[in-house]
Amino acid sequence: MPVQTIVGAILLFGGLVAVYIFLFLMNKKTPLPPGCENLKADCEGCKDLSCMNNPHHDKRKGGSVV
Amino acid sequence: MNRFENFKAGLIKDNPVFSLYLGICSTLAITTTVNNAIGMGAAVIMVLIMSNVIISAIRKIVPDEIRIPVYIVIIATLVKIIQMLIEAYAPALNTSLGVFIPLIVVNCIILGRAEAFASKHGIADSALDGLGMGLGYTLAVVAMSFIREVLATGVLNIVNPFNEAQVWINVTLIPEAYTIPLFNSPVGAFVTFAFLAAVIGAYKKHADEKAAKAEEVK
Amino acid sequence: MSELVTLLVTSVLINNVVLNQFLGMCPFMGVSRKRSSAIGMGVAVMFVIVVAALVTYALYYLVLVPLNLQFMDLITFILVIASLVQLTEMFIKKTSPSLYKSLGVYLPLITTNCVVLNVCLVNISNSYNFAQMLVYSIGTPLGFALVLYIFSTIRERLDIANVPNPLKGNPIALIVAAIMAMAFSGFAGIV
Repeated sequence: MPVQTIVGAILLFGGLVAVYIFLFLMNKKTPLPPGCENLKADCEGCKDLSCMNNPHHDKRKGGSVV
Repeated sequence: MNRFENFKAGLIKDNPVFSLYLGICSTLAITTTVNNAIGMGAAVIMVLIMSNVIISAIRKIVPDEIRIPVYIVIIATLVKIIQMLIEAYAPALNTSLGVFIPLIVVNCIILGRAEAFASKHGIADSALDGLGMGLGYTLAVVAMSFIREVLATGVLNIVNPFNEAQVWINVTLIPEAYTIPLFNSPVGAFVTFAFLAAVIGAYKKHADEKAAKAEEVK
Repeated sequence: MSELVTLLVTSVLINNVVLNQFLGMCPFMGVSRKRSSAIGMGVAVMFVIVVAALVTYALYYLVLVPLNLQFMDLITFILVIASLVQLTEMFIKKTSPSLYKSLGVYLPLITTNCVVLNVCLVNISNSYNFAQMLVYSIGTPLGFALVLYIFSTIRERLDIANVPNPLKGNPIALIVAAIMAMAFSGFAGIV
């Protein structure tokens, strides 16, 4: 594999990660609109209780199985 | 729960597919033939063990807030490696599994195990967990594809994934006049999955009740 | 033109992403309890898919192909999708609180929604041209939203139905999906 390809791949990856981190921080800084502080998605598609969106997530914190 | 029990639970009682409902998309789609199911199962086992090991190794240096994107990037890299290997050594499998190999990236089993297990346990435990859950997935897809393929075509056909021409098993189990081609279609996939999940769910409830009773007697 | 209409009908009804290609099963079963959440999820997915498809299509043909970096496709696409979800969330937060209330909560769920990644990958692997890409990227989430909405209306009735114990919850939902798939297979003849 030529050197340019490897350098290009690393630059592309670095650029995408930088964009993601920038947007992540910007999004974190943006305050939630009033009245939306405690919204939850309540997805019951799977029974994986470690998923944050599972409505039963809080009942058994971080159980290893289920 | 000790290590071995944890491993065993992933196979049937807490099967990732039929009990936890993880990775349903690929399960429904690739279970038309046993061949596909074995190939997909092997790919998932490899990705799952490697991702569990890597995520467990870096669990102390990844900041909690951005762990999910970090996990996804690691998983995407591993899946791309596996995809390239399958493309090179088992091209027939690559054609029949199609987009479902790259879609392992967003398969909830991998991310779910990274989040629930590998980010909290040591490397050896995580590797064992990956193997157990991967085998649970493989068991589920092979069982389901066996039912679908035999009911739809009446023939069980398994070939060497690295060399299509080499047929390992080819037996007719149901005469052609009695096959149900519906099981090859999406309808068959949904129905087979629903009944298998109901059976596993009933078994799990029974086992839990038995365990609760044993606890009471103590 | 007729070819594009055919592609649209195919991607919405005939090759429906949920009932025929089995993608997006998690939100299909997870957020179909209420009609309002089905609509919210459907619209959020549609928005993210259209934008993600445009960005990844451009990145693939303008950056990855000229630089011979096709092997980076999966990593590029997943990072683009994750970034877009953050961007969309921020944008909605700033512009409309009411929109955030109905769509915002579903956005984090979309990063790992397989429909999004699937559309980006299929646009490339089927070597669609720009118009085809646009039609496919609008038609697929349209089919997803349609099926999700129909399913949520069925599910509201299912909650008060008398279902055998072991089939309660997800198994009966899958059987309903099977019946819907049977109905949708009737569309196969219209093209």
